[in-house]
Amino acid sequence: MQSKCETAVRRLPSCVVIEIRGEVDGSAAAVLSAAYDGAVAMDAPSCVLLDFARVDYINSTGIALIVSVLAKARAEGRQVIASGLSDHYRQIFAITRLSDFIQLYDDVESAAAGVGAAG
Amino acid sequence: MTTTSNEDVLTSFSVPSEPGNERIALARVADAVAARGLSPDRLERLKTAVAEATMNAIEHGNHNHAELDVDITVAALDDGVAVSIVDRGGAHAPAPDTTVELPNLDMKLAGLQTPRGWGLFLIQNMVDAMDVSIDGDLHTVRLVMHTAPAPRPRDPEGGPRAEQM
Repeated sequence: MQSKCETAVRRLPSCVVIEIRGEVDGSAAAVLSAAYDGAVAMDAPSCVLLDFARVDYINSTGIALIVSVLAKARAEGRQVIASGLSDHYRQIFAITRLSDFIQLYDDVESAAAGVGAAG
Repeated sequence: MTTTSNEDVLTSFSVPSEPGNERIALARVADAVAARGLSPDRLERLKTAVAEATMNAIEHGNHNHAELDVDITVAALDDGVAVSIVDRGGAHAPAPDTTVELPNLDMKLAGLQTPRGWGLFLIQNMVDAMDVSIDGDLHTVRLVMHTAPAPRPRDPEGGPRAEQM
C-alpha cells in the first residue's frame, strides 16, 4: 500500500520539528522512521516535536508507529512533544496514555515556546 | 429493509479485503449516519471504531485475501445506530468471550509488549457497545453508538473479549 504520509523536518531553537502531513497508518512506517532519523541527525536535539496539524487520519497502526518513535527517543534521552492534534486525536492520545509521555500543545509556536521556557 | 423490529437498515455494502479499504468503509458509514443526530465527537468516535473493526476484518478475518469481502451493514436504532462488520474468519476466530492482553504503554515503551495491539482497545473505548458473534465461518462485530452518551458499565478487568488487533 502506497504511503499517503509525508514529512518535513526543520530546526527551531528549542527543538526539531517533524511536520507530518496526510495519513498516519501502517504504510507510514518508513516515512516516519526516516523523518525521525533525519531529525536527530540534524543537531542531536534534546526535544523532537511531532506536528500533526496537517494529519487527517491516524489509525491503531499509526499509534503503534508513534509508540515506536517515542520508545526510540526515550532510549536516546530525548523528549517528544506534539502539536496540532484535533480534539478527537487528543482523546485517543489520552485513552492510550500517550499524552502521559508526550506533552500536547495547540500549535508549533506554543510548543516551541513551552519547551524553550522549560529549558 | 428491516433486520429486527427496532432496526432499519440505512445501507449495506461490501469492500474487498485489501489494506486501506477501511477508509472506504468509514466514509460510507459516515454518509449513512449523517442524518441520525450523532454529535461531531460521537461521529468521529464511530468512524474510528468502524475503521479499526474493518481493518481487523480485512487483516485477521480475511487475511488480506482481496477476493473475500468484508460486509458492512448500518442500521438505525431508536436512539442511535448499529454497524455490523462481517468477515469470513469465524472458523479460526477465538471465542467471543476470550480475554486478551490489554495494551500497556509502559510495557510497550520498555519493549515488553509489541507496539501494536491497540485496535480492539480503541474500538471498545470509542463506541457505547461492541458485540462479537460467530456463525460458522462468519465472524461479526457489531458496534452500537447512541445518539446521546450513556453510562457505560466497564468490566473491572477492562479486558477485551475478542482477538487482539
